[in-house]
Amino acid sequence: MLEIKDLHGGFEGTEIIKGVDLSIKKGEVHAIMGPNGSGKSTLSKILAGHPEYEVTGGSVTYEGKNLLEMEPETRALEGIFMGFQYPVEIPGVNNSEFLRMAYNARLLYKDPEAEEIDPLDFDEILDQKMKLVEMDHKYKERFLNDGFSGGEKKKNEILQMAILEPKLAILDETDSGLDIDALKAVSQGINRLISGENAVILITHYQRLLEYIQPHFVHVMSAGKIVKSGEKDLALQLEAQGYDWLTAPAN
Amino acid sequence: MSTATEETTQAESAFLELHKRRQQSTQAPEAVKELNQTGIQRFELLKFPHSKHEMFTYARTAETVGTPYALAGSDEVSEEFVESAAYTVCEKTRLVLVNGFLSEGLSNTEGLNGVAVSGLSDAMAQGEIRDYLSAGAENENDVFASLNAAFFSEGLFIDVPANTAMKSPIMILYVSTGGEKPEASFPRLLVRVGRGAEVQFIVKFVGPGENYLVDAVQDFILEENSSVGLTQIQADPENSRHFCKTRVRQKKDSRFNLIGALSGARLARDHFECRLQEPGAEMSMKGVTVLCNEEQAHRFIRIHHEAPHCVSEQNFKNVINDRGRSSIDGTVIVNQGAQLTRSDQLINNLMLSDGAHADGKPNLMIYADDVKCTHGNTVGQIDGDQLFYLQTRGLSREAAKSLLTTSFAQSIIESIPFPEAIADLNGTLLKKLEAKNG
Repeated sequence: MLEIKDLHGGFEGTEIIKGVDLSIKKGEVHAIMGPNGSGKSTLSKILAGHPEYEVTGGSVTYEGKNLLEMEPETRALEGIFMGFQYPVEIPGVNNSEFLRMAYNARLLYKDPEAEEIDPLDFDEILDQKMKLVEMDHKYKERFLNDGFSGGEKKKNEILQMAILEPKLAILDETDSGLDIDALKAVSQGINRLISGENAVILITHYQRLLEYIQPHFVHVMSAGKIVKSGEKDLALQLEAQGYDWLTAPAN
Repeated sequence: MSTATEETTQAESAFLELHKRRQQSTQAPEAVKELNQTGIQRFELLKFPHSKHEMFTYARTAETVGTPYALAGSDEVSEEFVESAAYTVCEKTRLVLVNGFLSEGLSNTEGLNGVAVSGLSDAMAQGEIRDYLSAGAENENDVFASLNAAFFSEGLFIDVPANTAMKSPIMILYVSTGGEKPEASFPRLLVRVGRGAEVQFIVKFVGPGENYLVDAVQDFILEENSSVGLTQIQADPENSRHFCKTRVRQKKDSRFNLIGALSGARLARDHFECRLQEPGAEMSMKGVTVLCNEEQAHRFIRIHHEAPHCVSEQNFKNVINDRGRSSIDGTVIVNQGAQLTRSDQLINNLMLSDGAHADGKPNLMIYADDVKCTHGNTVGQIDGDQLFYLQTRGLSREAAKSLLTTSFAQSIIESIPFPEAIADLNGTLLKKLEAKNG
């Protein structure tokens, strides 16, 4: 599904990603862990197409196409979802109307002849999906993320993922800053969305998230590279020993 | 010392001459004529602003005052025009002023339920009202408001009795007809809201014509524990000149909530002055401005905290495209003794073009020591992070830009309590942006 080969890139002329290789297949859950500043978030921004991040080398192929040539919206419409570490607040944009716009954009991309969904029908879908992430209905009519607590913002990200039904979800530190209840609700939501038909990349700083979501593979990033890959046990080892035993030689 | 300030300019002479001719022919009642005389004397003292006048730092008035005007009369306006501008929620509570003159045919007062409407001259039979108006004219600091005092003929007085709870909002539609040659009109409104009364007003400025000057003055007197909502929409055509001064006086525990929309004009200037005179009074003011082409809209705001435990909140959002110019000059004055004042003021400008211009001058003058006041002013373009966020959800760059621009303005518009007014502004004010984006 996603093939990253020797990817180099960064921000404002500084190379942060220094040769990442990663292969992700349908049905897989990958966790990317690593200390602060190791390049995890930069990798996710490059994959989502943030205009301020530049690619200086390597390739990313998504379902046989060159991902790096696509506009951010095309990547989204092709089925990639980016869950933000810091979801953006947009006062003035009604949450449910925004979700419907995003849903319709996807619908019309798949089939230009399709009709936009009826607002009432969409409301039903929204109700179901909100239940999935245990989100209070009052957030439907609020402005997008405006004044939401940290937990509600992250739930809203997972709600968007539930509505857009991506083929590949890249969740950037979805767990950071959450208390245990919110973490449980968010993880449960993600678990319900994982199927054999899609793939998930969990970017996290903490092993805690992996108590709730079982990854098939764990990768450790350090200084812009993946320095170690393994299975779930690797996360436990990281929790016990920290990152130093991996990062020291890389430096 | 320069003698320039002593001289009467050509523009001032033209208005003085216009006034002289008008005083000879006007049918205005004696009480009004007396006030007109006070007004013109004040005008002679104040004079039109020079370019460094502190009240007109950003609004350049030379073109406006240099234009020769005829006085607009009580012209005919079609019912269709009024219907298209008015809201059905005010079908039976509608007052239409054409060039400042109340049109009984176009107004409908069936639903006013005890709210008294009369000409200002009738109201001036009450000593209290007469004193209030003459003190206002004598101490006027805004030259355009002094012109209004000098030229208004009739005026409108709305008296809301104590403990009235109005279900329907009262709409005041100011229609300016304009003419082939520039015309000036001077609408005047006085509203007194009795103790414990609750009422909503919708004020809207429109004109079927162009090339006019509308120079209005409004007074709102809020008695103890009364509550007033005011939605004010400036929708004059692009080629007009619009001035409006609104004065608010608030007694104990009264609440005044204003939401104002400016569509701009050749020159639009909105002067708002509020005095929180007794403890517990609260006011809030929200404003939205959308400017295109060469349009200008300027706000000049003075909020006086004269008693303890009062609250004032202000929030403005301006969207400026093309070569539009906007300014907000707003000062909150907290008098000595006005302890436990709370005051917030925030101005946000969204600039859509290189030629757009925004000035913001939020200011605080505090003479008490136990207060909580904030103020801020931001000028920015469309936020890159917001744009990217929307794109990652599948919205095209253009669609995301348009959504962000309209939502910026909508966050104010949506707080208007009348769906018709929201729809109206979405269809006019926000349409201006769509046309540009498309």
